[in-house]
Amino acid sequence: MDRIAIVGIDCTFPGAPDTGAYWDLLMRSGDGIGTVPEQRWAAREFHSPTPAEGRANTTQGGFIDDPDAFDNEFFTISPREAAAMDPQQRLLLQCSWRAVEDAGLAPHELAGSATGVFVGIMGNEWAQLHLTDYDHVTAQAGSGNGYCMTANRISYHLDLKGPSLAVDTACSSSLVAVHLAGNALLSGECDYAIAAGVNVAVTPALSIFYTQAGLSAPDGRCKPYSAQADGIGRGEGVGAVVLRRLEDALADGQQVYAVIRGTAVNQDGRSNGLTAPNRWAQQDVIGAAYRRAGVDPADIAFTEGHGTGTALGDMMEVAALGHHHAGRSGRPMALGSVKGNLGHTEGAAGIAGLIKVALALDHRTVPASRFAVKENERLALRKKGLRLLKAPLRLPRGTALAGLSSFGMGGTNAHAVLESAPPEAARPARESADGPTGIGTALFTLTAPAPEALRRNLNAQADALAARRAPAGAVGWTSHRVKTGHRYRFAVSAPDTDTLVGRLRAAAADPDLLARLTGVGGTARTAFLFTGQGSQYPRMTAGLYQESPLYRRFLDEADDALLPHTGRSVRDLILTGDEEVHLTRWAQPALFAVGWALGRTLGELGVEPDLLLGHSVGEYAAACLAGVFPLDDAARLIAARGELMQQLPDGGGMLAVLAGREELAERLAEEPEVGIAVVNGPRATVLSGDLMALQRIDKELDRDRIRTRMLRVSHAFHSYLMEPMLEKFAEVARDVGGVPRLPLYSTLYGRVLDDEPMDADYWVAHVRRPVLFADAAAQLLAAGPTHTVEVGPSPVLSSMIRKLPPPASGARPAAVAPVRGADSTGRDLADGLAELYRGGLTPRWEAAYEERERTPYRMMPYVFSDEHRYWARGGPVRARHDAPVPELPRPAAEKTPEKTAKTGKTTKTARPAEKTAGPAATGVLTLERPAPTDPVSEAVLEAIGQVGGYGTDELGPYLRLYEDLGFDSVMVMELKNRIEERLPALAALTVQDLLPRLASVGDLVDFLREHCATRPATEERTA
Amino acid sequence: MNGNPQVYLSSVGTALPGDPVDNAELARVLGANEEWIEVFIGTRTRHFARDLTTGEVRWSLADLCAQAADRAVRAAQVAPEDIEFVVLGTATPDTLMPATVNNVVDQLGLDQVPTFQLQSGCAGAVQALSLGRTLIASGEYRTGLVIGGDVCSKHLDIKRDLTKAAPSDLVNFVLFGDGAGAAVLTDEPSGERVALRHVLNRFTGLGRKPGQVIEWFGLADRHDDRQALTEDYKAIEEQVPVMAVEILWELLGELDWDADDLDYLLPPQLSGRMTRKITEQLDVPTATEISCVADTGNNGNALPFLQIERLLEKMTDGQKALAVAIESSKWIKAGFALERI
Repeated sequence: MDRIAIVGIDCTFPGAPDTGAYWDLLMRSGDGIGTVPEQRWAAREFHSPTPAEGRANTTQGGFIDDPDAFDNEFFTISPREAAAMDPQQRLLLQCSWRAVEDAGLAPHELAGSATGVFVGIMGNEWAQLHLTDYDHVTAQAGSGNGYCMTANRISYHLDLKGPSLAVDTACSSSLVAVHLAGNALLSGECDYAIAAGVNVAVTPALSIFYTQAGLSAPDGRCKPYSAQADGIGRGEGVGAVVLRRLEDALADGQQVYAVIRGTAVNQDGRSNGLTAPNRWAQQDVIGAAYRRAGVDPADIAFTEGHGTGTALGDMMEVAALGHHHAGRSGRPMALGSVKGNLGHTEGAAGIAGLIKVALALDHRTVPASRFAVKENERLALRKKGLRLLKAPLRLPRGTALAGLSSFGMGGTNAHAVLESAPPEAARPARESADGPTGIGTALFTLTAPAPEALRRNLNAQADALAARRAPAGAVGWTSHRVKTGHRYRFAVSAPDTDTLVGRLRAAAADPDLLARLTGVGGTARTAFLFTGQGSQYPRMTAGLYQESPLYRRFLDEADDALLPHTGRSVRDLILTGDEEVHLTRWAQPALFAVGWALGRTLGELGVEPDLLLGHSVGEYAAACLAGVFPLDDAARLIAARGELMQQLPDGGGMLAVLAGREELAERLAEEPEVGIAVVNGPRATVLSGDLMALQRIDKELDRDRIRTRMLRVSHAFHSYLMEPMLEKFAEVARDVGGVPRLPLYSTLYGRVLDDEPMDADYWVAHVRRPVLFADAAAQLLAAGPTHTVEVGPSPVLSSMIRKLPPPASGARPAAVAPVRGADSTGRDLADGLAELYRGGLTPRWEAAYEERERTPYRMMPYVFSDEHRYWARGGPVRARHDAPVPELPRPAAEKTPEKTAKTGKTTKTARPAEKTAGPAATGVLTLERPAPTDPVSEAVLEAIGQVGGYGTDELGPYLRLYEDLGFDSVMVMELKNRIEERLPALAALTVQDLLPRLASVGDLVDFLREHCATRPATEERTA
Repeated sequence: MNGNPQVYLSSVGTALPGDPVDNAELARVLGANEEWIEVFIGTRTRHFARDLTTGEVRWSLADLCAQAADRAVRAAQVAPEDIEFVVLGTATPDTLMPATVNNVVDQLGLDQVPTFQLQSGCAGAVQALSLGRTLIASGEYRTGLVIGGDVCSKHLDIKRDLTKAAPSDLVNFVLFGDGAGAAVLTDEPSGERVALRHVLNRFTGLGRKPGQVIEWFGLADRHDDRQALTEDYKAIEEQVPVMAVEILWELLGELDWDADDLDYLLPPQLSGRMTRKITEQLDVPTATEISCVADTGNNGNALPFLQIERLLEKMTDGQKALAVAIESSKWIKAGFALERI
């Protein structure tokens, strides 16, 4: 049986801005229902508790926050186009992006693939508003509306080339979309599919329709299968899942929320009414899904029902389920519906249910179903083998099965059977890499299209990572895979998650630091600099060796190659801290081993040299890595070189002089036993030769106030004193060496090699002749590397290069030092890698992590900007004023503020949308201001003002005492006393009388006004 | 648990320190508003282990627990030597070491018994019952003592003037009380012959901010300006009723009992007012509510035992009772079911 894996999820529902919040809402049995936001329509104008034409019986519903926010810049959509787009399109775009990230994929990775997009949608209210405003129908309005565009936009912006279509089967739309997506995957039409659903309510039309059809709950809440059920409440939402064939997901080691085992779709046909639910068709579709999934109904642990909470709908649905479950063995099947929390999210209802089931299977807990406690006894659930989820249900170990229903108003029914993801043990073992990998320290990388976006996302990641323990390796590994593809490249090493959180927060808070840790990519051109003799020290790179299996692998390999020639393990010599590492015999092979192993480590990490340069003996590792000779030949040569030099008699020395070579050449004319050995810079030269002669020169230079330093060396390298070994060395070097395959800057010639072999002649001359580092390095700089990478135990060449004149054109390269010194560990290598990443290099991340670290981790998906807001051009939908509406003053605030209260940014609609923090800024609320003041309201306002510290002009009647004005029970006690002082007639009033009437200022005023009005009459009678 | 042997509650004993303190007296001592306490807390009286006028400590937690345990053992008519284990649940131990349970056992004159102390707030007594039940059901033990108790008055600073205190602060002074309770559990019906049918103890606080925090202070931080006791009353008011309903239905579901089968309901004892509110939400009109908090104050882990004590006065053979408890610190769901045979 072919199965579909749900690998990525993202959603926004009422009271739940993201997937985590959605699960939290479900587990809290939270209520996402509230008053129709002012932005949508003037709900009071359309409200009539009693049946009336053009009126709805409720002002409540499930509304998502910020439907107007859209990060158009992220998708490079112009403000004008964004403003014309149906918010459903905008929300889907952001939601799909996040769902793909949640699947552990960089959305760019899917670009160009045959990924399918299937969107369930039934509301077209934006188009109804904007495409009927004929004077304003623009090109943007055309592409900004229409069902097809919801799916096609996603395909366009993510560059997905599989099937892309919108599905409208009314309330079952998004589950039908999931069904089609699954079929497309199973038929091989695509390898990935995004299935989504969306519903944003812009007009009261459906609320009025539900009311007129007798289906609308007066409190705007669906109460599925409850004795309290009294109809439908509308809800909004957007949700997307990323689907794959299960075997592909498992083969890729992808995380799986849940598995779709089978889906089915059918139609009522000519039933007893176009819009009436049909028990027989529902029964059939459920049965078909069970068959397709190959499950026994008795094995289904729970079902997420359609559950609109209408008398007929609930009745039909449980009858259909009962057909399959009555008489089942074991416990009755648990039943619930998320509509109790969100309302009926219509086009998004199927996806809301699917996500709930997937999360429940993933968490192995099914949330309680809101309103289930007061079970509708008339449904006789027990007899039908059903029970309501009155409390959360823990799923037992092992595979759990679940059902999911979604039924469309026009009679298109859908059902799905899901099961929990296969356990880790049942997954195919992943192939292991060629050899050990890992550098010992994780990195964290994140990209964003703009610095502000970067900052926002760094903060979001810090918060998410701080909330739950997470292994740094898995976080880093995932960050490289998912958070890639944008211009601004942030990278830091992440030794552990706590340190990472601290670094993310620090970077987000400090623009300078953020700038240092962020690059804008480009193409990294690296120059590898291999250090020469003198840079060695005991235990060099020991920290890295200990932490990094990758480096360990290569140092061991170098040691194996050297051992036949050195007779003693150079690696052990280094790691045990033996001071003999300073002896030429050991120093040369040891430096070669470290240089070669570091170079190979970097290569495995994807850091390949574009240019190479080795300082003197460092040239061996450079040449070997440039393909001049194989490791074994290099090992033989360098061991012999060190050994032969070691055997030379003492008596030579070297003197570093702060002077240029021309200046010194004159002095040396008289001293045949001393010569220039090294040219490190324009004013940095090393002399080499007979010790007595050197001391003589040193004195002379001292007299002329030229600074010198006698080097602690055993021999006079690169001098005539080397001559006795040349012949033997030439013998060893016979037949080795070819032409380097990469641009190699020779310190023998002081320039890049031009198709010249590095053969025995070369290496013999290399022993005797001076090291023209400054010349070679200057030419290397002129070739324009973006980074120098110091391949050796300490960064000495980088600082020499800094003293050279800058290249004629372009900037100096950034210096990267994978090993900084004796304390270096994997962290320095990671920092170096981070620097290169910022510079545009994409490392081979597989090599940077150990096999066990390369596991996916669900990171917080991209956090979009909510700075830009776009909403309906005409403002909130209002009732027509020729219709019989209650007499109300016109809103005073037609001239709405140009700024949104939340962000302070101008919105980019023709008529700016309002995002109000408090209700004070909206016009409609002024409707509720009491007309003329009277003594009671005056007294109450004064009392409230006094207790709460407000001016009476600040106190609108709509303000809620507890939520808006911050009252608490102590303040209420005081308020009562204050009111009494002003209105002695109220003395008999108790706190208990007052408590139920403290919802809002207006509420309290009304209550006290009534009370005062009745009061004198009573007194008269008693008098 | 082989065959899951039934566990029985044989007896209960409780201890409340001193005379009840009413709202008038508390309001006088603390400078609080008596009417406010009545309206917003709804608790009439409570008991304190500390003298309200002098501040002098008159009973330790160990004293109260030992008193309650002694009463339970006597009522169960078992010899103290028959007690094979002792479990204490408390949020307010006398000292961090020794664990108070050991001083209790010492006071009871017992030796060579396994002891357990569970650091827990309002769910501690239920956790003690859960552990006690598991120990007996394991077959290794036949008789054990479970105790719950708290001395909240450690934080009752009578020197503070609360005239100007915010309600969130004030409530900490008027909500709580001190006390202890204990029960003898056995592997066969004896004494009260009440079967402990089911115990629920479950952490549900993943990712949720604590609703209640009690700090403890050491030498290094004793001068920190941290409030010793903080509660998120808003979260508690919002969440506890929802959780209570879920616990009720989960227990009923586990036991396969109908709500109509219940003769008694022991709701969470937060305060007189909150308990009334929660009981309304639990909505089991056929069951008699057994509450004590309005008279005893919220004395934490003593509450379930005080409720059981009141229950046993009324419960007749074959009757069923269900208790719901919630610890809002880190949102622990707890509850148990009793049936007299």
